[in-house]
Amino acid sequence: MTPTYQQCRGVLPLSLLTGLGFMAMGCGANKGGPTEITYWTGWSGHEFGIQQGLVDQFNRTHPGIHVRLISQFGNSGYQKVRIAFAGDATPDLMSTVWADELADYAQRGVLTPLDDYLARSKRDFDKEYVPALRSSLRVDGKIYALAVTTDTSFIVFNKQIFREVGLDPNRPPTTPDELLRASKACTNTRPDGGLIRYGFRPSDLRTWAHVFGGDWYDPSTKRITANDPHNVEALKWMCAFNSFLDPRRAEAFQATFGNEKTTSGPFFVGKIAMWQTGEWAGEYLKRYGPNVEYGYFPLPAPPGGRPNSSYVNGSVFVIPKASSHKKEAWEFLNWLTQEEPVRIFCSTIGNVPPLVSVGEAPRFKNDPLFRFAVGLSRGKTGFGPPGISMWSTYSSEISRAEEKATIGGEDPKAVLDDLQKRMEKEFAETNEDLGRG
Amino acid sequence: MSRLSHHRSNSAGERRALRNGLLFASPWLIGLTVFGLYPILSSLYYSLCSYDGIREPRWIGLHNYHKMFFEDELFYKALYNTLYMVVLGVPLSILCGLSVALLLNQKVKGIAVYRTIYYLPSVVPVVASSILWLWLLNPDIGLINVGLQHLGIKNPPTWLGDPVWSKPALLMMGIWGVGGGMVIYLAALQNVSETLYEAASLDGAGSMLKFRNVTLPMITPVILFNLITSLIGTFQYFTEAYVMTSGGPQDSTTFYALRLFNSAFQDFHLGYASAMAWVLFILTLVCALVVFKSSLRWVYYDGEVK
Repeated sequence: MTPTYQQCRGVLPLSLLTGLGFMAMGCGANKGGPTEITYWTGWSGHEFGIQQGLVDQFNRTHPGIHVRLISQFGNSGYQKVRIAFAGDATPDLMSTVWADELADYAQRGVLTPLDDYLARSKRDFDKEYVPALRSSLRVDGKIYALAVTTDTSFIVFNKQIFREVGLDPNRPPTTPDELLRASKACTNTRPDGGLIRYGFRPSDLRTWAHVFGGDWYDPSTKRITANDPHNVEALKWMCAFNSFLDPRRAEAFQATFGNEKTTSGPFFVGKIAMWQTGEWAGEYLKRYGPNVEYGYFPLPAPPGGRPNSSYVNGSVFVIPKASSHKKEAWEFLNWLTQEEPVRIFCSTIGNVPPLVSVGEAPRFKNDPLFRFAVGLSRGKTGFGPPGISMWSTYSSEISRAEEKATIGGEDPKAVLDDLQKRMEKEFAETNEDLGRG
Repeated sequence: MSRLSHHRSNSAGERRALRNGLLFASPWLIGLTVFGLYPILSSLYYSLCSYDGIREPRWIGLHNYHKMFFEDELFYKALYNTLYMVVLGVPLSILCGLSVALLLNQKVKGIAVYRTIYYLPSVVPVVASSILWLWLLNPDIGLINVGLQHLGIKNPPTWLGDPVWSKPALLMMGIWGVGGGMVIYLAALQNVSETLYEAASLDGAGSMLKFRNVTLPMITPVILFNLITSLIGTFQYFTEAYVMTSGGPQDSTTFYALRLFNSAFQDFHLGYASAMAWVLFILTLVCALVVFKSSLRWVYYDGEVK
């Protein structure tokens, strides 16, 4: 068996000491066999199987390279990635990095920029990929990752409930205010004040701020913009749902929600009338809520906001700088991100394809919900992480700020001002660490 | 014997004995230095640095400590949550462990079976029992709330869904696992000499008096042991929160160790996490010392008069 990269690392100091040519004696010791590259993935179960199928197909058709696929599943898998980078023990290719973390790694200099490889393979990144990915796979102007999936967010609603409360099921909400009113109309309480059903409770301030026209970072001035007036408006709107949904009761009610991936999911049993979700909802509805009569609509934007917004954060493919088989890793990645493999993968796992052309495939064209999601993904208002290295921390702090205002009852403006102050500091410190001052 | 004394007078032999001794102890010595001492000392150094695990640590002096005490609101929240568990959880576990041990110290038929039943939960791995309790505590279909509803409580707490009830829920779950401490109390109870009880009976003591003046003083060393270990354990309360709540709702179960872990492996502020670890260490140390100091007044060792 060809030694793996990790095994070879241990050999390195020894071979240098003894003056033996490392490349010839160590990892290069192929003796005519294929070069083995290691590829870590975060996909598991059924999705891992499909990924493995693609890897097998590549291995069959490319005798010079053998790709070894290893599943690094779950939270600990993603933590392992960080530790692997820290110890220079990374594989040759990995899809175990979230788009959210891309800038974090790229700016720490542990990833290989892909621009040259793309150019050599005559790939036209900006033509192939949907707009949101064009920006979120780039850091400081360079492309650091490719993707084989992407996702969208929108709202699925229960037509039956709409009809029952006198709303027009063929005219779903088109502005945040309409959404709020529709949510109130669909909300049903018991005489003792306990909830039987509510219409909609917005979550994910990160996305809603974008819908309202706000941003979290301004790349032109390189400044954090957590308290952008649009962000404040978005948070105020989210808090306005408390006027008819007591947050404590709503939280208690939410705690009784079953898993979305089972038939007891809150949307399937009619505990909520509207569900903020993504393209995978179609598959779930088929499986767990076959009797629900549903429709869908994009996240409604106010005048001056960004209609058809959705937030993109999937796992992305990177080639670590420490890889000793970058060329082979690229060859595989180049193959895997072509139309055919992407079509196979996205259509079997039910994700929106990141390549514009694949959206034309029958699987996506013939399914109305998918057609809608693909349309969203191609829009100009799709957005991803802002490409700053402390985004993971920033992102979890945004969620905390959201909770403080929507559940804790704190003033939205004050909460975001405080977030602004703290994140400015964090940003300055990170930049100092990275020598980007 | 003669060989030994011969060696003792021979300095070369002595050196060899020393060498052999060290050689035999070396697995432990190397283990301690490489896997214990070195990481501990480096964490002290990292606590004075900004360190993300990838780039070289950058010296920033006491900034991490300053940030912890003056800027990080989650630090105080985590500290409060942890102290809540220490102040309520530790006495509760001692009380429950001891009570169960007293009950299981009776001479009843089938006592071995009862003892096994009460001890069983502490054999279950924490992650497994946490998942189990997630189901028990489910506000809608969990056994606990179904039971409470049968008792006529219309709106039972949503437990892990409510910041007010999340910590009590974890405390309740902790009681389920008192079997570990119970076994130790039981051993101590059985060691209390019959003659002491006899003497107390002759003096006319009833069972309450016997418990107060014989049983309790005699098992204080074991209570001290359990107090110290559960004190240290509770300061490091982590797994249950990590598995069941990830610190929510509204940070109500973000315990010190969880916050430390998240700083290190979510935010990758390894320097800051190291600083937190040192503060936790000192905190635990001080509490343990206070308990030890106080134990001079309430712990009785064999034959001691106080």
